Amino acid sequence: MMDNMDYMITTTRLTKKYKSFVAVDNVSLNIRKGSIYGFLGPNGAGKSTTMKMLLGLTAPTTGSFTIDGKQFPNDRLSILKAVGSFIESPSFYANLTGRENLDIIRRILRLPANCVEDALELVGLSEFGGRLAKKYSLGMKQRLGLAEALLGRPPILILDEPTNGLDPSGIHEIRNLIKSLPGFYNCTVLISSHMLSEIELIADDIGILNHGRLLFEGSLDELQQKAIQSGFAADHLEDMFLSMVDKDNADRKQRAKL
Amino acid sequence: MRTIAIELRKEKRTGIILLMPMAGILGAAYAFTFFLVQKDTLFNLPLPPMDVLLTQAYGMIMVLNMFGIIAAACMIYNMEFKESAMKKMYALPVSVPAMFFCKFLILTIMLLTAICFQNSTLTNIGLAYLPQGTFAFKTLLAFAGYSYITSMPVLSFMIFISSRSPDMWVTLGIGVAGFLSGMALTASKAPWLCIHPFVMMLKPAAAMSAQPDMAAVIFSLIETAFFLFAGLWAAKIKRCA
Repeated sequence: MMDNMDYMITTTRLTKKYKSFVAVDNVSLNIRKGSIYGFLGPNGAGKSTTMKMLLGLTAPTTGSFTIDGKQFPNDRLSILKAVGSFIESPSFYANLTGRENLDIIRRILRLPANCVEDALELVGLSEFGGRLAKKYSLGMKQRLGLAEALLGRPPILILDEPTNGLDPSGIHEIRNLIKSLPGFYNCTVLISSHMLSEIELIADDIGILNHGRLLFEGSLDELQQKAIQSGFAADHLEDMFLSMVDKDNADRKQRAKL
Repeated sequence: MRTIAIELRKEKRTGIILLMPMAGILGAAYAFTFFLVQKDTLFNLPLPPMDVLLTQAYGMIMVLNMFGIIAAACMIYNMEFKESAMKKMYALPVSVPAMFFCKFLILTIMLLTAICFQNSTLTNIGLAYLPQGTFAFKTLLAFAGYSYITSMPVLSFMIFISSRSPDMWVTLGIGVAGFLSGMALTASKAPWLCIHPFVMMLKPAAAMSAQPDMAAVIFSLIETAFFLFAGLWAAKIKRCA
């Protein structure tokens, strides 16, 4: 039995509605301290919306969440100081170099100057730190986005599709980096990805979202147990994920007919 | 101070910082050339010499300042929307209304620089060409302050529009439309037209006297404050949407 203190992020019946469309439907997540939590779901499942709510980028319609025991919106500044984020696509000032972009964020976070080189080195961008960010390749922009999230080694990382646009060796490199982070400085990572094989390799816990609803939350072993009990293929995460999502979609259709 | 220092760093290589002083230098160069070439005609006009000095070249100076403000306002938020840099700012422990206020402050100071360049040139022209004993530094200062205050509604309005519009061309279009409609409406005596920020900026250019119009000053201050607070409020609301 886990105590609330053991969780870095908890959400309670988090819901986001856009008029009649429910993007996130009563999602209750429990993300353990020092773990990597893989957030899975098809396009439009509500992963990014959930992550945006955790960062205060969009307000929940109902429900609440705590991050490291702190609550939005009262503790907004201290939460954002502790969270490194990468949402959807890299965000940066095109007129600045990679190093200058990181320096802006470093100044906002009031971090020491050496953090910039540390972040550049972590993502393998040291050599290109002096190049204008607008001249970066897609993969380099992605790395810059990750460096921004990793700046100052924050205790919480929220990463939405961080390996998009990277070549296979880049994916491998970033995957290893993310995997090493909790051991490296005891951070908690919430990561979403379409690449189920990636998540399978790095995540300690999994959350599966479909049409805004959380279908499963638990460890990979628990997912496997559930898949076996439900009569699904349980060899790979991909099989279990697809079976679970397909079943949920079929149930939804059935309910809609009724 | 920290936020303003960060804002200044963000503006590196954008040309924003240079834009208004450049408009000021261009305006000063125009005034100098204009008086150098036309001084005989200008000082024979049936107007007091200080009015000639301050109002005759002001039309072009004001247009340069106006386009400087429009371009700078477009650029100052374009760099935030380009490559979604603003999105990153929203996820950082930074006050977005404070960012807006610092951008407003930067443009305000840049406009002041431009006006200083232009008025120091007018001072030199006045000292060199105006009949002995007719140059009044106080009148020049009052007109400089008047033109600065009446320019502020456009600055405040444009930066507000720019902060709301991710597409720079929309902001630019609104600026140009504001200029054209302001030009068309400035001659009208209808008092309600004072709510048009571009009309306020054009007022000193349309007048033949350098005497500040106090009603225009009050309207300008109210409009500047209105658009500034609208921008601060919108920045706060947007973050919580």
